[in-house]
Amino acid sequence: MDLQEGSIKDLWKDIYHTGNLHYCFNCSTCISGCPASHGEPPLLVRNLARKVILGLEEDLLMDDTPWACVSCSRCEEMCPMNVMPFEMILSIRQWQCRNDETLIPSAIVEIYKRGYTQAVGVNTELRESLGLPQLNTITNNPEQLELFREMLMKTQVVSDNDYMFKG
Amino acid sequence: MQLCFFPGCNTPAIRPDVERAIRASLPVLGIEVVDADNYVCCPAFGSFPSADEEAWMATSGWNLSIAEQKGCDFVVQCGSCYSSLRMGREHLVHDAEKLAHVNELLEPTGRQVTGKSKVRHISEVLFRGIGPEKIASKLKKSLRGLHGVVQYPCHTLFPSEIVGFEESPRAPEGLRRLVEALGAAVDGYSRELQCCGGAGGFMKSSPEQALEFAKTKFDAILEETKADFIAVSCITCLMHMERVQNIFNEQLGEERYRIPVFDYNQLLALCLGFDPKEVSAIANVPRDSVISRLADEEKLRYLEDTKKFVEVW
Repeated sequence: MDLQEGSIKDLWKDIYHTGNLHYCFNCSTCISGCPASHGEPPLLVRNLARKVILGLEEDLLMDDTPWACVSCSRCEEMCPMNVMPFEMILSIRQWQCRNDETLIPSAIVEIYKRGYTQAVGVNTELRESLGLPQLNTITNNPEQLELFREMLMKTQVVSDNDYMFKG
Repeated sequence: MQLCFFPGCNTPAIRPDVERAIRASLPVLGIEVVDADNYVCCPAFGSFPSADEEAWMATSGWNLSIAEQKGCDFVVQCGSCYSSLRMGREHLVHDAEKLAHVNELLEPTGRQVTGKSKVRHISEVLFRGIGPEKIASKLKKSLRGLHGVVQYPCHTLFPSEIVGFEESPRAPEGLRRLVEALGAAVDGYSRELQCCGGAGGFMKSSPEQALEFAKTKFDAILEETKADFIAVSCITCLMHMERVQNIFNEQLGEERYRIPVFDYNQLLALCLGFDPKEVSAIANVPRDSVISRLADEEKLRYLEDTKKFVEVW
C-alpha cells in the first residue's frame, strides 16, 4: 500500500471531490437502514468512504458492492457529517467506469440506441386495449433520436467508448 | 392547471394500466395532462449517473427542456425518475458552469434548459396540490370497510432537502392521508418505512438476501395489520412487491403471500368510477378481493342524506 501523501490526496480528488468526505468518522449511520447492507457481500458505505480517503485504489477498483446500492438515499438523509454518501457511491461507480470500461452499464448503450432502458412505445396493441394514446417517443422519431445521439457522442463516456455505441 | 407527464420507462412499457389510471384521474381533479414528446430515460441511476456525470446532466437537461418548452412543471410517478430528474435539476440550477456546459451540448439540438420547470411527484400533486378533501368529494366508489397499508417511495422522502415535501421524512403522512380519503382504514406497522429493496443491483447481486429482506416487511404486514391491500406510489415498488410475493409462495409451496398491490392512482381511478379492465388491467397478485368490495359511494351518500332528512323531518 502506497501511503505517500501525494497518491492519497489525488485519489479522493479524482473520485469524489468534496471536502465533507473527510469529516466521515465511521459512525455507520449510513449502514443502518441500508437494504444492500444485508447483501452478500454487504454494501458497507462507511468502508467505501474509508477506501476513498485512504487512496486504496486497487481494492476500490475491484469492489463491486457500490453497484448493489438501491438508491434509496437513506444514507444521504441520515449522514450527520453531510458526506452525501449516495452521491459518493455514484462517483465511485463513475470512477470505476473511467478506469475499467467493462464496468460501464449496458443500460447506457440501450438509452443511446432507443432513448430508454425498456421498449417504450412498441406495445401499441396493449395500450390501445386500455384506451391509451400512442406515445410520441423518441424511438419512433429518427430525427430527434439522431440529435440526442449526437449530443451524447460529445460526452466523455460515449466518445471515449464509441465502439460500444456503433452498429 | 397543466402538468407535463413524464411516463418513464417501466410504466408505459410494462404497466400501462398505471399510466391509464393517471391519465384518467388527473383531469377529473382539474389537471390537464400535457405529453412529454420525445422524452428520454430520466436517466435511471444505474445508467448515466453511474457512468458519467456529464452525460447524466446532458440527459437531464434534454428532459427538463421539454417541460420548459411546454411552460409547465413535470409530474412523475416513478420514484427513480422523480429523484433522478430532481437531482439533475438541482445540480444544474446550483452550478452555473454545469448549466452553461449542458446548454452548449443542447444547443445543436434546438433545446435549452434554465431550470424554470420544477419536477413534482404525483403523490405530492395529489396531497399538497389537490388535497384529500377535494379527492374525497369526487368519489363514486370507495374503499369503505377495507384495510390497507402504505409503501412510501424512498425517492420521495430522501434526501428530503432535494426530493422531500413531507413535514418530516421520518414520519410521512401524505400517502396515508390520500388512501384514507378513499375511505379505507390505513394500518400502521413496524416496517412501514422499510425500503421495498427492488431498485438498483441488490436483487441481482444478492437475490437470497434481498428476498429475505423483503420478507421481513411482508411478515410484519401479515402479523401486525389487517391489510386487504398495499398502496404504493412508485412503479418499482409496485412491480417488486408483486414479484416477491409470487416468489415467496413458489418457495413455500403455498399461497401465503397474496396481498394485492395497487399504485395509488389505480385505487383513485377505481374510486372515481373508471373501468377496472382499463385502470387495473394487469395484476400479478390477484386483486378481485378488493375490486369486488368497492363500495357504491353515490348510493351510500344518498342513503345517508335520506336518513338525515328523515331525522330532521
